[in-house]
Amino acid sequence: MSVTEESMALPWPVVTGPGGTTPAELMARVARGDSDAFTQLYDQMAPRVFGLIRRVLRNPAQSEEVTQEVMVEVWRTATRYDADRGSPTSWILTMAHRRAIDRVRSEQSSSDREQAVAAASTTPAYDEVSEAVTTNLEVEQVRHCLSALTELQRESVTLAYYGGYSYREVAELLDAKLATIKARMRDGLIRLRDCLGVTGK
Amino acid sequence: MTTPDVHMLTGPYVLNALPEDERIGFEAHLADCSSCSAEVAELREAATKLGTAVAVPPPPALKARVLAEIATTRQLPPLVRDPEPRPVDELAQRRYSRRSVFGLAAAALAVAGAGGIAVDQYRDNQRTERQNEQLAALLSQPDAKTARGEVAGGGQATVVMSAGQDRAIVLLHGLAKLPDGKTYQLWLQDRSEAMHSAGIAGPDDTKLIQGGITDKIALGITVENTPGVPAPTQAPAALVPMV
Ligand SMILES: [Zn+2]
Repeated sequence: MSVTEESMALPWPVVTGPGGTTPAELMARVARGDSDAFTQLYDQMAPRVFGLIRRVLRNPAQSEEVTQEVMVEVWRTATRYDADRGSPTSWILTMAHRRAIDRVRSEQSSSDREQAVAAASTTPAYDEVSEAVTTNLEVEQVRHCLSALTELQRESVTLAYYGGYSYREVAELLDAKLATIKARMRDGLIRLRDCLGVTGK
Repeated sequence: MTTPDVHMLTGPYVLNALPEDERIGFEAHLADCSSCSAEVAELREAATKLGTAVAVPPPPALKARVLAEIATTRQLPPLVRDPEPRPVDELAQRRYSRRSVFGLAAAALAVAGAGGIAVDQYRDNQRTERQNEQLAALLSQPDAKTARGEVAGGGQATVVMSAGQDRAIVLLHGLAKLPDGKTYQLWLQDRSEAMHSAGIAGPDDTKLIQGGITDKIALGITVENTPGVPAPTQAPAALVPMV
Protein backbone atom coordinates (compact mmCIF):
# COMPACT_ATOMS: atom_id res chain seq x y z
CA MET A 1 0.00 0.00 0.00
CA SER A 2 1.43 3.32 -0.95
CA VAL A 3 0.52 6.71 0.25
CA THR A 4 -1.43 8.78 -2.21
CA GLU A 5 -0.75 12.43 -2.81
CA GLU A 6 -4.24 13.13 -1.70
CA SER A 7 -3.55 11.69 1.74
CA MET A 8 -0.29 13.56 2.06
CA ALA A 9 -2.10 16.79 1.41
CA LEU A 10 -4.43 16.33 4.34
CA PRO A 11 -3.29 16.96 7.87
CA TRP A 12 -3.72 13.88 10.00
CA PRO A 13 -4.12 12.46 12.50
CA VAL A 14 -5.96 15.44 13.82
CA VAL A 15 -5.72 15.40 17.56
CA THR A 16 -7.92 18.39 18.12
CA GLY A 17 -10.27 20.27 15.89
CA PRO A 18 -9.86 23.84 14.72
CA GLY A 19 -11.32 25.26 17.90
CA GLY A 20 -9.15 22.99 20.03
CA THR A 21 -12.11 20.71 20.60
CA THR A 22 -11.07 17.33 21.91
CA PRO A 23 -12.75 14.06 20.93
CA ALA A 24 -14.04 13.73 24.50
CA GLU A 25 -15.80 17.11 24.34
CA LEU A 26 -17.22 16.27 20.94
CA MET A 27 -18.48 12.88 22.12
CA ALA A 28 -20.42 14.52 24.93
CA ARG A 29 -22.10 16.84 22.43
CA VAL A 30 -22.75 14.05 19.94
CA ALA A 31 -24.46 12.08 22.71
CA ARG A 32 -26.90 14.97 23.02
CA GLY A 33 -27.71 14.79 19.33
CA ASP A 34 -25.47 17.61 18.11
CA SER A 35 -24.83 16.88 14.45
CA ASP A 36 -22.31 19.73 14.04
CA ALA A 37 -20.21 18.08 16.73
CA PHE A 38 -20.58 14.81 14.88
CA THR A 39 -19.27 16.43 11.71
CA GLN A 40 -16.17 17.56 13.60
CA LEU A 41 -15.78 14.17 15.19
CA TYR A 42 -16.06 12.62 11.74
CA ASP A 43 -13.23 14.81 10.46
CA GLN A 44 -11.05 13.73 13.36
CA MET A 45 -11.89 10.06 13.40
CA ALA A 46 -12.79 8.97 9.86
CA PRO A 47 -9.14 8.79 8.64
CA ARG A 48 -8.24 6.50 11.53
CA VAL A 49 -11.33 4.37 11.10
CA PHE A 50 -10.93 4.09 7.35
CA GLY A 51 -7.18 3.53 7.52
CA LEU A 52 -7.49 0.71 10.02
CA ILE A 53 -10.38 -0.98 8.25
CA ARG A 54 -8.61 -0.76 4.90
CA ARG A 55 -5.47 -2.23 6.41
CA VAL A 56 -7.44 -5.25 7.56
CA LEU A 57 -9.84 -5.69 4.63
CA ARG A 58 -7.69 -4.39 1.72
CA ASN A 59 -10.71 -3.99 -0.52
CA PRO A 60 -11.37 -0.23 -0.84
CA ALA A 61 -15.10 -0.47 -1.62
CA GLN A 62 -15.71 -2.81 1.31
CA SER A 63 -13.60 -0.60 3.54
CA GLU A 64 -15.73 2.43 2.69
CA GLU A 65 -18.87 0.48 3.41
CA VAL A 66 -17.64 -0.71 6.80
CA THR A 67 -16.33 2.78 7.66
CA GLN A 68 -19.79 4.15 6.96
CA GLU A 69 -21.35 1.49 9.21
CA VAL A 70 -18.93 2.29 12.01
CA MET A 71 -19.36 6.06 11.84
CA VAL A 72 -23.15 5.73 11.84
CA GLU A 73 -22.82 3.35 14.80
CA VAL A 74 -20.74 5.98 16.59
CA TRP A 75 -23.63 8.39 16.15
CA ARG A 76 -26.26 5.85 17.15
CA THR A 77 -24.51 4.61 20.28
CA ALA A 78 -22.74 7.79 21.43
CA THR A 79 -25.34 7.92 24.21
CA ARG A 80 -23.86 4.71 25.62
CA TYR A 81 -20.23 5.78 25.55
CA ASP A 82 -18.70 5.80 29.03
CA ALA A 83 -15.67 8.05 29.37
CA ASP A 84 -14.55 6.23 32.49
CA ARG A 85 -13.84 3.15 30.48
CA GLY A 86 -11.59 4.43 27.71
CA SER A 87 -10.86 7.30 25.36
CA PRO A 88 -13.27 8.07 22.51
CA THR A 89 -10.54 7.20 20.02
CA SER A 90 -10.11 3.82 21.62
CA TRP A 91 -13.85 3.24 21.74
CA ILE A 92 -14.27 4.13 18.09
CA LEU A 93 -11.24 2.24 16.81
CA THR A 94 -12.19 -0.83 18.83
CA MET A 95 -15.56 -0.75 17.13
CA ALA A 96 -13.90 -0.27 13.73
CA HIS A 97 -11.49 -3.15 14.27
CA ARG A 98 -14.26 -5.47 15.40
CA ARG A 99 -16.43 -4.63 12.42
CA ALA A 100 -13.51 -5.27 10.09
CA ILE A 101 -12.72 -8.58 11.77
CA ASP A 102 -16.39 -9.60 11.72
CA ARG A 103 -16.38 -8.94 8.00
CA VAL A 104 -13.26 -11.01 7.48
CA ARG A 105 -14.60 -13.93 9.52
CA SER A 106 -18.09 -13.89 8.06
CA GLU A 107 -16.74 -14.07 4.53
CA GLN A 108 -15.02 -17.35 4.99
CA SER A 109 -15.91 -20.06 7.40
CA SER A 110 -13.17 -20.56 9.92
CA SER A 111 -12.34 -24.03 8.62
CA ASP A 112 -11.82 -22.64 5.10
CA ARG A 113 -9.60 -19.98 6.49
CA GLU A 114 -7.59 -22.37 8.58
CA GLN A 115 -7.07 -24.64 5.59
CA ALA A 116 -6.07 -21.73 3.44
CA VAL A 117 -3.65 -20.57 6.08
CA ALA A 118 -2.22 -24.06 6.48
CA ALA A 119 -1.82 -24.39 2.72
CA ALA A 120 0.01 -21.12 2.31
CA SER A 121 3.55 -22.08 1.47
CA THR A 122 5.08 -18.79 2.42
CA THR A 123 4.40 -16.46 5.26
CA PRO A 124 2.32 -13.70 3.74
CA ALA A 125 3.90 -10.32 3.96
CA TYR A 126 2.29 -8.27 6.64
CA ASP A 127 2.28 -4.57 6.21
CA GLU A 128 4.43 -2.85 8.67
CA VAL A 129 3.71 0.56 9.95
CA SER A 130 6.77 1.72 8.06
CA GLU A 131 4.72 1.64 4.88
CA ALA A 132 2.39 4.26 6.18
CA VAL A 133 2.89 7.96 6.24
CA THR A 134 5.96 8.70 8.29
CA THR A 135 5.87 12.40 8.93
CA ASN A 136 3.90 12.11 12.10
CA LEU A 137 5.50 11.88 15.49
CA GLU A 138 2.91 9.47 16.79
CA VAL A 139 3.57 7.13 13.89
CA GLU A 140 7.31 7.34 14.48
CA GLN A 141 6.73 6.42 18.07
CA VAL A 142 4.58 3.41 17.18
CA ARG A 143 7.17 2.22 14.71
CA HIS A 144 9.94 2.67 17.24
CA CYS A 145 8.00 0.77 19.88
CA LEU A 146 7.12 -2.05 17.49
CA SER A 147 10.78 -2.45 16.68
CA ALA A 148 11.50 -2.84 20.38
CA LEU A 149 9.43 -6.03 20.50
CA THR A 150 10.88 -9.47 19.88
CA GLU A 151 10.18 -10.74 16.39
CA LEU A 152 7.63 -13.26 17.66
CA GLN A 153 5.85 -10.63 19.73
CA ARG A 154 5.77 -8.21 16.81
CA GLU A 155 4.52 -10.77 14.34
CA SER A 156 1.91 -12.13 16.74
CA VAL A 157 0.54 -8.65 17.40
CA THR A 158 0.62 -7.33 13.84
CA LEU A 159 -0.70 -10.48 12.15
CA ALA A 160 -3.67 -10.40 14.50
CA TYR A 161 -4.29 -6.66 14.49
CA TYR A 162 -3.47 -5.67 10.93
CA GLY A 163 -3.85 -9.09 9.34
CA GLY A 164 -7.14 -9.91 11.06
CA TYR A 165 -6.02 -13.44 11.90
CA SER A 166 -7.21 -15.40 14.92
CA TYR A 167 -4.57 -16.57 17.37
CA ARG A 168 -4.94 -20.09 15.97
CA GLU A 169 -4.23 -18.83 12.47
CA VAL A 170 -1.30 -16.80 13.73
CA ALA A 171 0.09 -19.91 15.43
CA GLU A 172 -0.24 -21.77 12.16
CA LEU A 173 1.48 -19.02 10.21
CA LEU A 174 4.32 -18.72 12.68
CA ASP A 175 4.51 -22.44 13.34
CA ALA A 176 4.28 -21.92 17.08
CA LYS A 177 2.26 -23.39 19.92
CA LEU A 178 -1.14 -21.84 20.68
CA ALA A 179 -0.17 -21.06 24.27
CA THR A 180 3.01 -19.36 23.05
CA ILE A 181 1.13 -17.12 20.64
CA LYS A 182 -1.47 -16.14 23.24
CA ALA A 183 1.34 -15.23 25.62
CA ARG A 184 3.30 -13.27 22.97
CA MET A 185 0.19 -11.29 22.04
CA ARG A 186 -0.21 -10.32 25.65
CA ASP A 187 3.40 -9.56 26.54
CA GLY A 188 3.89 -7.86 23.17
CA LEU A 189 1.00 -5.50 23.87
CA ILE A 190 2.22 -4.92 27.42
CA ARG A 191 5.61 -3.91 26.09
CA LEU A 192 3.97 -1.68 23.53
CA ARG A 193 1.85 -0.09 26.24
CA ASP A 194 4.89 0.61 28.39
CA CYS A 195 6.87 1.96 25.46
CA LEU A 196 4.02 4.19 24.28
CA GLY A 197 3.21 5.31 27.81
CA VAL A 198 -0.52 4.84 27.43
CA THR A 199 -2.93 4.22 30.26
CA GLY A 200 -6.39 2.81 30.38
CA LYS A 201 -8.22 6.05 30.83
CA MET B 1 -8.86 -24.16 30.49
CA THR B 2 -6.86 -23.56 33.65
CA THR B 3 -7.06 -20.32 35.57
CA PRO B 4 -3.64 -18.86 34.75
CA ASP B 5 -4.49 -19.43 31.08
CA VAL B 6 -7.60 -17.28 31.32
CA HIS B 7 -5.69 -14.17 32.39
CA MET B 8 -3.37 -14.59 29.39
CA LEU B 9 -6.28 -13.96 27.07
CA THR B 10 -6.26 -10.18 27.52
CA GLY B 11 -3.81 -9.93 24.59
CA PRO B 12 -5.71 -12.02 22.04
CA TYR B 13 -8.98 -10.46 23.27
CA VAL B 14 -7.83 -6.89 22.66
CA LEU B 15 -6.53 -7.89 19.22
CA ASN B 16 -9.90 -9.51 18.44
CA ALA B 17 -8.03 -12.73 17.81
CA LEU B 18 -10.30 -14.99 19.87
CA PRO B 19 -12.87 -17.21 18.17
CA GLU B 20 -16.46 -16.36 19.11
CA ASP B 21 -16.91 -19.04 21.78
CA GLU B 22 -13.68 -18.17 23.56
CA ARG B 23 -14.49 -14.47 23.34
CA ILE B 24 -17.83 -14.99 25.06
CA GLY B 25 -16.15 -17.09 27.74
CA PHE B 26 -13.50 -14.46 28.31
CA GLU B 27 -16.05 -11.65 28.54
CA ALA B 28 -17.79 -13.60 31.29
CA HIS B 29 -14.45 -13.80 33.07
CA LEU B 30 -13.83 -10.08 32.53
CA ALA B 31 -17.01 -9.20 34.38
CA ASP B 32 -15.57 -10.77 37.52
CA CYS B 33 -11.84 -10.14 37.16
CA SER B 34 -10.81 -6.57 37.88
CA SER B 35 -7.15 -7.13 37.03
CA CYS B 36 -8.07 -8.41 33.57
CA SER B 37 -10.51 -5.57 32.91
CA ALA B 38 -7.91 -2.98 33.95
CA GLU B 39 -5.34 -4.66 31.72
CA VAL B 40 -7.77 -4.81 28.80
CA ALA B 41 -8.41 -1.06 29.08
CA GLU B 42 -4.68 -0.31 28.96
CA LEU B 43 -3.84 -2.76 26.20
CA ARG B 44 -6.74 -1.41 24.20
CA GLU B 45 -5.21 2.07 24.27
CA ALA B 46 -1.95 0.55 23.02
CA ALA B 47 -3.75 -1.27 20.20
CA THR B 48 -5.52 1.99 19.37
CA LYS B 49 -2.11 3.54 18.67
CA LEU B 50 -1.46 0.77 16.16
CA GLY B 51 -4.72 1.71 14.52
CA THR B 52 -4.01 5.41 14.51
CA ALA B 53 -0.62 4.75 12.93
CA VAL B 54 -2.20 3.57 9.67
CA ALA B 55 -4.70 6.41 9.25
CA VAL B 56 -5.63 7.26 5.69
CA PRO B 57 -8.22 9.86 4.68
CA PRO B 58 -11.36 8.25 3.27
CA PRO B 59 -12.79 9.43 -0.04
CA PRO B 60 -14.51 12.80 0.51
CA ALA B 61 -17.84 11.46 -0.81
CA LEU B 62 -18.08 9.15 2.17
CA LYS B 63 -18.63 12.05 4.52
CA ALA B 64 -21.76 13.16 2.73
CA ARG B 65 -23.14 9.63 2.80
CA VAL B 66 -22.48 9.26 6.52
CA LEU B 67 -23.97 12.65 7.35
CA ALA B 68 -27.05 11.86 5.25
CA GLU B 69 -27.48 8.57 7.07
CA ILE B 70 -27.16 9.99 10.57
CA ALA B 71 -29.73 12.63 9.71
CA THR B 72 -32.27 9.80 9.48
CA THR B 73 -30.90 7.63 12.29
CA ARG B 74 -32.29 7.83 15.78
CA GLN B 75 -29.80 7.59 18.63
CA LEU B 76 -30.16 4.90 21.26
CA PRO B 77 -31.52 6.06 24.59
CA PRO B 78 -28.81 6.27 27.23
CA LEU B 79 -28.56 3.52 29.80
CA VAL B 80 -29.94 4.88 33.03
CA ARG B 81 -27.67 3.62 35.73
CA ASP B 82 -29.12 3.42 39.18
CA PRO B 83 -26.15 3.97 41.50
CA GLU B 84 -27.84 2.03 44.28
CA PRO B 85 -30.18 -0.56 42.85
CA ARG B 86 -33.13 -1.15 45.15
CA PRO B 87 -33.67 -4.59 46.56
CA VAL B 88 -35.30 -6.70 43.91
CA ASP B 89 -38.34 -7.50 46.03
CA GLU B 90 -39.17 -3.84 46.30
CA LEU B 91 -38.75 -3.45 42.58
CA ALA B 92 -41.16 -6.27 42.09
CA GLN B 93 -43.98 -4.36 43.72
CA ARG B 94 -43.68 -1.26 41.62
CA ARG B 95 -45.11 -0.43 38.27
CA TYR B 96 -42.64 0.72 35.73
CA SER B 97 -42.77 3.68 33.47
CA ARG B 98 -41.41 3.24 29.98
CA ARG B 99 -38.71 5.75 30.82
CA SER B 100 -37.17 3.70 33.58
CA VAL B 101 -37.27 0.44 31.73
CA PHE B 102 -33.67 0.42 30.63
CA GLY B 103 -32.56 1.52 34.05
CA LEU B 104 -34.47 -1.34 35.55
CA ALA B 105 -33.00 -3.76 33.09
CA ALA B 106 -29.58 -2.48 33.98
CA ALA B 107 -30.38 -2.71 37.68
CA ALA B 108 -31.73 -6.23 37.31
CA LEU B 109 -28.61 -7.20 35.42
CA ALA B 110 -26.41 -5.54 37.99
CA VAL B 111 -28.25 -7.44 40.70
CA ALA B 112 -28.02 -10.67 38.80
CA GLY B 113 -24.59 -9.72 37.52
CA ALA B 114 -25.46 -11.65 34.43
CA GLY B 115 -23.11 -9.80 32.16
CA GLY B 116 -24.80 -7.92 29.38
CA ILE B 117 -24.71 -4.20 29.68
CA ALA B 118 -21.87 -3.86 32.12
CA VAL B 119 -19.50 -6.43 30.69
CA ASP B 120 -18.08 -4.59 27.82
CA GLN B 121 -19.40 -1.40 26.36
CA TYR B 122 -17.38 -1.94 23.21
CA ARG B 123 -18.92 -5.16 22.14
CA ASP B 124 -21.82 -4.69 19.83
CA ASN B 125 -23.25 -7.89 21.18
CA GLN B 126 -26.53 -8.50 19.49
CA ARG B 127 -27.33 -11.44 21.71
CA THR B 128 -26.82 -9.41 24.86
CA GLU B 129 -28.75 -6.52 23.41
CA ARG B 130 -31.63 -8.80 22.53
CA GLN B 131 -31.61 -10.25 26.05
CA ASN B 132 -31.62 -6.80 27.56
CA GLU B 133 -34.48 -5.76 25.34
CA GLN B 134 -36.45 -8.86 26.30
CA LEU B 135 -35.74 -8.15 29.93
CA ALA B 136 -36.76 -4.52 29.57
CA ALA B 137 -39.94 -5.51 27.76
CA LEU B 138 -40.79 -7.97 30.51
CA LEU B 139 -40.05 -5.48 33.29
CA SER B 140 -42.28 -2.92 31.60
CA GLN B 141 -45.29 -5.20 32.03
CA PRO B 142 -47.62 -3.91 34.76
CA ASP B 143 -47.67 -7.35 36.40
CA ALA B 144 -43.90 -7.90 36.20
CA LYS B 145 -42.42 -9.54 39.28
CA THR B 146 -38.88 -10.29 40.28
CA ALA B 147 -37.76 -12.97 42.71
CA ARG B 148 -34.35 -14.01 43.76
CA GLY B 149 -32.78 -16.89 45.62
CA GLU B 150 -29.41 -18.22 46.67
CA VAL B 151 -28.13 -21.37 45.04
CA ALA B 152 -26.56 -24.06 47.21
CA GLY B 153 -22.87 -24.20 46.36
CA GLY B 154 -22.73 -20.48 45.54
CA GLY B 155 -24.34 -17.91 43.27
CA GLN B 156 -27.82 -16.49 42.80
CA ALA B 157 -30.80 -17.09 40.61
CA THR B 158 -33.07 -14.20 39.67
CA VAL B 159 -36.43 -14.73 37.98
CA VAL B 160 -38.18 -11.89 36.20
CA MET B 161 -41.68 -12.89 35.15
CA SER B 162 -44.99 -11.66 33.85
CA ALA B 163 -48.05 -13.87 34.13
CA GLY B 164 -49.85 -11.72 31.58
CA GLN B 165 -47.13 -12.34 29.03
CA ASP B 166 -46.69 -15.91 30.21
CA ARG B 167 -42.97 -15.35 30.08
CA ALA B 168 -40.08 -15.46 32.48
CA ILE B 169 -36.40 -14.71 32.26
CA VAL B 170 -34.04 -16.58 34.54
CA LEU B 171 -30.68 -14.94 35.26
CA LEU B 172 -28.04 -17.09 36.86
CA HIS B 173 -24.96 -15.52 38.31
CA GLY B 174 -21.86 -16.96 39.86
CA LEU B 175 -23.03 -20.53 40.21
CA ALA B 176 -20.26 -23.02 40.90
CA LYS B 177 -18.55 -24.52 37.86
CA LEU B 178 -19.58 -28.13 37.61
CA PRO B 179 -17.27 -31.06 36.96
CA ASP B 180 -17.45 -32.67 33.52
CA GLY B 181 -20.62 -34.60 32.94
CA LYS B 182 -22.76 -32.61 35.39
CA THR B 183 -25.16 -29.86 34.36
CA TYR B 184 -27.57 -27.43 35.95
CA GLN B 185 -31.17 -28.02 34.99
CA LEU B 186 -34.02 -25.57 35.51
CA TRP B 187 -37.50 -26.63 36.63
CA LEU B 188 -40.86 -24.97 37.07
CA GLN B 189 -42.85 -26.30 39.98
CA ASP B 190 -46.63 -26.38 39.70
CA ARG B 191 -49.22 -26.28 42.49
CA SER B 192 -49.17 -30.03 42.87
CA GLU B 193 -45.42 -29.67 43.40
CA ALA B 194 -44.62 -31.53 40.20
CA MET B 195 -41.48 -30.30 38.42
CA HIS B 196 -41.48 -29.43 34.73
CA SER B 197 -38.15 -29.13 32.95
CA ALA B 198 -37.23 -25.67 31.66
CA GLY B 199 -33.96 -26.78 30.11
CA ILE B 200 -30.33 -27.00 31.08
CA ALA B 201 -28.19 -23.96 31.93
CA GLY B 202 -24.62 -22.90 32.47
CA PRO B 203 -23.44 -21.26 35.70
CA ASP B 204 -23.90 -17.71 34.32
CA ASP B 205 -26.67 -18.16 31.80
CA THR B 206 -29.67 -16.01 31.02
CA LYS B 207 -32.67 -18.05 29.90
CA LEU B 208 -35.96 -16.94 28.42
CA ILE B 209 -38.89 -19.21 29.27
CA GLN B 210 -41.91 -18.70 27.06
CA GLY B 211 -45.19 -20.25 28.11
CA GLY B 212 -46.17 -22.44 31.02
CA ILE B 213 -45.48 -19.74 33.60
CA THR B 214 -48.95 -18.84 34.84
CA ASP B 215 -49.68 -21.89 36.97
CA LYS B 216 -46.16 -22.27 38.37
CA ILE B 217 -45.21 -21.48 41.93
CA ALA B 218 -41.42 -21.82 41.97
CA LEU B 219 -38.27 -22.08 39.94
CA GLY B 220 -36.08 -25.04 40.87
CA ILE B 221 -32.47 -25.74 39.97
CA THR B 222 -30.86 -29.15 40.25
CA VAL B 223 -27.42 -30.47 39.44
CA GLU B 224 -27.97 -33.44 37.18
CA ASN B 225 -25.58 -36.17 36.12
CA THR B 226 -27.31 -36.53 32.75
CA PRO B 227 -28.27 -33.40 30.83
CA GLY B 228 -31.97 -32.98 30.21
CA VAL B 229 -33.52 -35.59 32.49
CA PRO B 230 -37.35 -35.65 32.33
CA ALA B 231 -37.74 -35.33 36.11
CA PRO B 232 -35.30 -34.17 38.78
CA THR B 233 -33.08 -36.93 40.14
CA GLN B 234 -31.40 -34.71 42.74
CA ALA B 235 -32.56 -32.47 45.54
CA PRO B 236 -32.92 -28.87 44.37
CA ALA B 237 -29.86 -26.62 44.73
CA ALA B 238 -32.32 -23.72 44.70
CA LEU B 239 -36.06 -23.29 44.88
CA VAL B 240 -37.13 -19.71 44.20
CA PRO B 241 -40.79 -18.95 45.00
CA MET B 242 -42.52 -17.24 42.09
CA VAL B 243 -45.74 -16.27 43.86
ZN1 LIG C 1 -8.49 -12.39 34.86
